[in-house]
Amino acid sequence: MGEVTALIADIQHCSLHDGPGIRTTVFVKGCPLNCVWCHNPECISPRPEVMYHADKCIGCGHCAEGCFSGARVTCGREMTLDEVMEELRRDKPYYGGSGGLTLSGGEPAIYPEFSAALLDRCAAEGIGRALETSLYAAPEVLMPLLRRCDIVMCDLKHSDPELHKKYTGAGNALILENLRLLDSLGIPIILRTPVIAGLNDDDENITAAAVIAASLKNLKYYELLPYHPLGVSKAAALGREQTIFEAPSPERFRELAEIVKSRSVPLRIAGRGTDI
Amino acid sequence: MNYKERLAELRKTKIRHTLEKRGQQGYMNADDYGTVPLPEGYKFTPVPNSPNGGFYGYTGMAENYCRMLDGHPIYVDPLEMLCGRWRDMMVNYRRATRWDEARFPFDELKPAHELYNITHGIDNDSHFACDYRIGFELGFGGLLDKVRRYAEINTDKKEFYNAEEAVLLAIMRFIGRHIDEIERLLESEERPEIRASLEAMLECNRNVIAKPPKTFLEACQWTAWFNCVSRIYTRDGAGFQLDGLLYPYYKADIESGRLDRDTARFIMSNLLLIDPHYYQLSGVDENDKDLTNELSYLILDAAHDLNIAANLTVRVHENCDPEFLRKAVTCLFRDRNGWPRFCGDDSLANGYMKNGFDKATARQRIAVGCNWMAIPGREFPMNDTVKINVAKVFEVAMSEMKGMGARSTELLFQLFRVHLEKAIAATAQGIHLHIKHQADVTPELVMNLMMNNCIEKGEDISRCAEIYTIGIDGAGLAVAADSFAALEQRVEREGILDWDTVYSALESDYAGTEGERTRAILSSAERYCGGNTAGDRWAVRITEYFTEAISTHPLTWDGSMRLIPGWFSWSRTIEYGKVVGATPNGRHSGAPISHGANPNPGFRPDGAATDMSTGIAAVQPGRGNTAPLQLEFDPKISEEEGGIDRVLDLITTHFRLGGTLININVLDGEKLKAAHANPDLYPDLVVRVTGFTAYFATLSPEFRQLVVDRFVKGF
Ligand code: SF4
Ligand code: SF4
Repeated sequence: MGEVTALIADIQHCSLHDGPGIRTTVFVKGCPLNCVWCHNPECISPRPEVMYHADKCIGCGHCAEGCFSGARVTCGREMTLDEVMEELRRDKPYYGGSGGLTLSGGEPAIYPEFSAALLDRCAAEGIGRALETSLYAAPEVLMPLLRRCDIVMCDLKHSDPELHKKYTGAGNALILENLRLLDSLGIPIILRTPVIAGLNDDDENITAAAVIAASLKNLKYYELLPYHPLGVSKAAALGREQTIFEAPSPERFRELAEIVKSRSVPLRIAGRGTDI
Repeated sequence: MNYKERLAELRKTKIRHTLEKRGQQGYMNADDYGTVPLPEGYKFTPVPNSPNGGFYGYTGMAENYCRMLDGHPIYVDPLEMLCGRWRDMMVNYRRATRWDEARFPFDELKPAHELYNITHGIDNDSHFACDYRIGFELGFGGLLDKVRRYAEINTDKKEFYNAEEAVLLAIMRFIGRHIDEIERLLESEERPEIRASLEAMLECNRNVIAKPPKTFLEACQWTAWFNCVSRIYTRDGAGFQLDGLLYPYYKADIESGRLDRDTARFIMSNLLLIDPHYYQLSGVDENDKDLTNELSYLILDAAHDLNIAANLTVRVHENCDPEFLRKAVTCLFRDRNGWPRFCGDDSLANGYMKNGFDKATARQRIAVGCNWMAIPGREFPMNDTVKINVAKVFEVAMSEMKGMGARSTELLFQLFRVHLEKAIAATAQGIHLHIKHQADVTPELVMNLMMNNCIEKGEDISRCAEIYTIGIDGAGLAVAADSFAALEQRVEREGILDWDTVYSALESDYAGTEGERTRAILSSAERYCGGNTAGDRWAVRITEYFTEAISTHPLTWDGSMRLIPGWFSWSRTIEYGKVVGATPNGRHSGAPISHGANPNPGFRPDGAATDMSTGIAAVQPGRGNTAPLQLEFDPKISEEEGGIDRVLDLITTHFRLGGTLININVLDGEKLKAAHANPDLYPDLVVRVTGFTAYFATLSPEFRQLVVDRFVKGF
């Protein structure tokens, strides 16, 4: 049997926004959803892809011999557990009491064997484990991964099943079911909603999300993430077009914050408390 | 007016001064020093005692210093509680003639100094640290008595003692003129609370003009005076263990009820306003006992109240008070003025002990300079004044290899070693010349007063220090390491480029599309601080050799002197870069070299501060001098959200891995860019340039660009 591997889009060292403490974020490549606002569009396809950044091209014409200017880069590298562990070990001295691995993507559950083994290796080496997941996976695949984590970060993209399907390509029933199962594990949960003006920033949606958040026993906090057009240029580099949306105004965020707070749900906005 | 309102006013004055000074002096690219602008019409004309128009030696320096102090403008702000502000300095009148080359030529060293772009330190001054306890104990009057007493013993040292006596008398006259000014201000001052503090200032100065300081206010005022007059003499900026030496005064005053904490805090803010001297806080004694005390906290609070540039270094060690450390990091986030900095006791003390000193001595060696440490009163280190541009040394080796047959990175490294050795030898000879003749050229008449041996022996400190551990810093490590790594990877390992292609690309400064492609191939190779890369390995290899070559370099003229290696460019990265042609790391000809021990900008796509920290911890020469980690953070993570913990994890880990000094700028990226475009709108924006902090608005555009480029996005 061959070694367990996963297609890795990127490994980010010293990551500070993907969970507590100093972390190393491993982005797997491949996601079963296809969100219209996806901020990591290079992580959707489970195959290596070439990205072309025209602004970096120096026009040398040697594409066939390899590009070194950063214009044409292949995203996605098949990596073994050992290779990933080696990267993690470099950051390990800095994890302190709270940091560690954040396994993200894409959707880590599309590499169940690799993801489980990676989380086990981290546990064995005393490295903290966070999972960033869409929760869109069969429970029998997902649960073993969730169980191996200290903290789980997951999204509630839309509370309406139809609109969820419209914007992400799939309904939210499975996600909500997985969320309940996750809550039964006793692992702290950070629940998040990427908020996009006109798509999911209505009172109704955020109220429904707050109700779900309030029902969770292990919620650490609920986070509203203002939309950022991070994915647009990456999608363009992949030869795809991504619609540019807008983030709600600060005033709107303040209103949404009130809705959430009225349900006594601990809230953060873009990682920073609730001051806007 | 309460203290808060007074400080707010003083801050406004400070901002006004900053802009006025830039108008008077142009871009400063240096420490602000706490100076105030010169009044219209002020003029100082030195009296030369040499045919070259310069002034030198005990008599020449003393005479001009006394004239300068006697004519120096007086500045007393009734909103302050201390006085001792300064504006002019002797170096301004010695720039062209600082070293007396006619008498002490070094023409034979010049070719090597130029070839390797050596900052030789000949003619540099003040890079050592006074033992303020000596001054606290004696006061200016006691120092004068001491000078007179020893003058009678060492009758053959007349010129020295006459000079020291004249200097002390001038200092006392200078303070006396301030006393007159305070009296004058009191005549018209009507605000009762300001009257009260002016009266306190008056009494305090009447005491400290001759007597040793007895109270916390007096000790701070005495410090302010010494700092001021020492700055005017040779710009000396070395402070002391601020929370340690002032603590007995503070404690006694608080306990007796003479002083309340708010007043102490205001006085401390005032001291920090007067001059951003380099002070160490916290630390550890020879028995590993933590030295943090109540005053350590109060100093951070006072600096926070003031909220301007400061040079406070917190010494981090195993038994450090965790609460204090957390508070220190919090200051970085709250005030965003680049202070405090942090130094790592473990690596510094253990490193220094490798030079043959015991732990007690090593622990006395505290952070008192931009990037440097010194033992107050005992050591003559010339730290930060002597530098070798290793990027230039690399370039010399690289061009020598061009015509050779079997070219390889191994051969290149051998050549690099040979040239580095030559550079070190030429540097050491320069140091020798300086030590031999400093007394004839720029004797340290002010600092001598608080150095062991000087008054006792009637000698300048350069001739009688207890310890000579002299620092030589290398600059441009990342340029050299990345160049070696790029050649190894792209030419030798992968064969993508051949030597001739590389050489012609360098010669043309990567001209044309093919040149640009060669540059892309080289600059995308494995870089220093990339995380266990070829660049990291070369940086370690260069450091190992550099360390060995410097610390074992024989100083033939005095076996007890030692050279100590460090990596530090100071703020000379632009200047050093101008003389280095294109390098194989993809750097263009004349572009700035890397900063201190830092990697080249863009060292990793994610700019990971962890990899940078690990990389820099691995290149510590480890003999007691520093190779600083300079970080620029955008505080996207807030204080509440665990930002402090993350920075603490980073700091403690870097020191655990062997790091020596961390300079951190917590900056708002957007604000930095806006200030770069329009500096005058941000006259209070402070950045840590290297070891020193400066007002962003006073930096030249080139320099500001450098700070912007260094910015690490991730954090
Ligand atoms: S779940 Fe995440 S990675 Fe997948 S498509 Fe949506 S935003 Fe992109
Ligand atoms: S190799 Fe890269 S830089 Fe050169 S033409 Fe191709 S894409 Fe552009």
